Amino acid sequence: MKKIKFSAFLSTAIVCYLFWLVLTGQIVSIFTGGASLQILLAGALVSIIAALFSARFFIRSKAFYLANPVKFFIWIYYSVIVFMWELIKANIDVALRAFGFKKNKPGIVKVESDLKSDYGLAALANSITLTPGTITLDIAECDGKNYFYIHWIDVATADVKEAGDAIKGTMEKWIRRIWE
Amino acid sequence: MRYIIDILIAISLLFALAGVVGMIRFRDVFSRMQASTNISTLGVIGVILGAIIYSAVVLGDYSMVVKLVVMGIFYIITNPIAGHAVAKAAYRRGMAKDLELECDKYGEDLENAD
Amino acid sequence: MNELLFFAICFVALALVLFYRLIKGPSVVDRAVTADSIEILTDMALILFALHSGRSIYLDIALVTAVLGFIGSVLVSRYLEGRL
Repeated sequence: MKKIKFSAFLSTAIVCYLFWLVLTGQIVSIFTGGASLQILLAGALVSIIAALFSARFFIRSKAFYLANPVKFFIWIYYSVIVFMWELIKANIDVALRAFGFKKNKPGIVKVESDLKSDYGLAALANSITLTPGTITLDIAECDGKNYFYIHWIDVATADVKEAGDAIKGTMEKWIRRIWE
Repeated sequence: MRYIIDILIAISLLFALAGVVGMIRFRDVFSRMQASTNISTLGVIGVILGAIIYSAVVLGDYSMVVKLVVMGIFYIITNPIAGHAVAKAAYRRGMAKDLELECDKYGEDLENAD
Repeated sequence: MNELLFFAICFVALALVLFYRLIKGPSVVDRAVTADSIEILTDMALILFALHSGRSIYLDIALVTAVLGFIGSVLVSRYLEGRL
């Protein structure tokens, strides 16, 4: 069994304990008074045991990358305003296609990305998949660069650069600012 | 305040209707998958926002608010993972072979690698 | 108070429309994606019913069905890739 770092174990245990507090409803009764000590202690025990087994699946590199408050607020701003705007635009587009106002011509394009870290690549792939109209199929590494294979519902160009500009939009700039 | 909640839920219902119509009408597998993403993004977010406002203002039950926030975050995190896994499995099963695709870079690169 | 019930009935009707794709769907992937969507629409109806009745036990049921739907679709995709 591989040895796990203490920071990885600690961050996993904190996340597990927050989930315990939320799902048992104790996080409200801490503020209003009347939290039960028994439930709090049982949750601490269970989350420590769960973190011992599962920390090596969750954390690979830096454990506390979002503990920096500036990065945390940029992350909130990205996911509430920038990403939500992209989501609404793509949703209206796909809804118009569904009702038959536009024709669709599907295809699979290849897009280049210059992000390096695992967290950044995963965040960009999940953002692309979550917007309707594009689904990430695979990520391949070739000559030190990372390429996404994306199924796109409306192929405008098959070129690597232009398709990348049309799909990624402003999302890559913000993700590079958070996770690099 | 009731009108804001009703408008949010009605917007969400409209996008869910668009997703359902797309899933019935579209021709190939991957396009239907795109339409199902439409249901699980804005179709969920509108209802969750409306429910948060309703349970905080009308009901005054804050444990419900916390649970709804957790549900929203859970939907947003897990939906792209499931979509990505299902799409990759569908491609590896060869379901894109006899479709009319505009271009297929993934298939070309897979053939070159072999 | 009754608008919430009306919206919940609309979501359930949309889920019933999707049963057409679930029965007819030409491939396995269609059925898996459609079952996931039906589960999400039913969850929305459960949330609205929880608001209507004011009891948070329905929210727990919706959370559990969301977890089960996610695990189910990931399991189906692992099986299709032949790695299970």
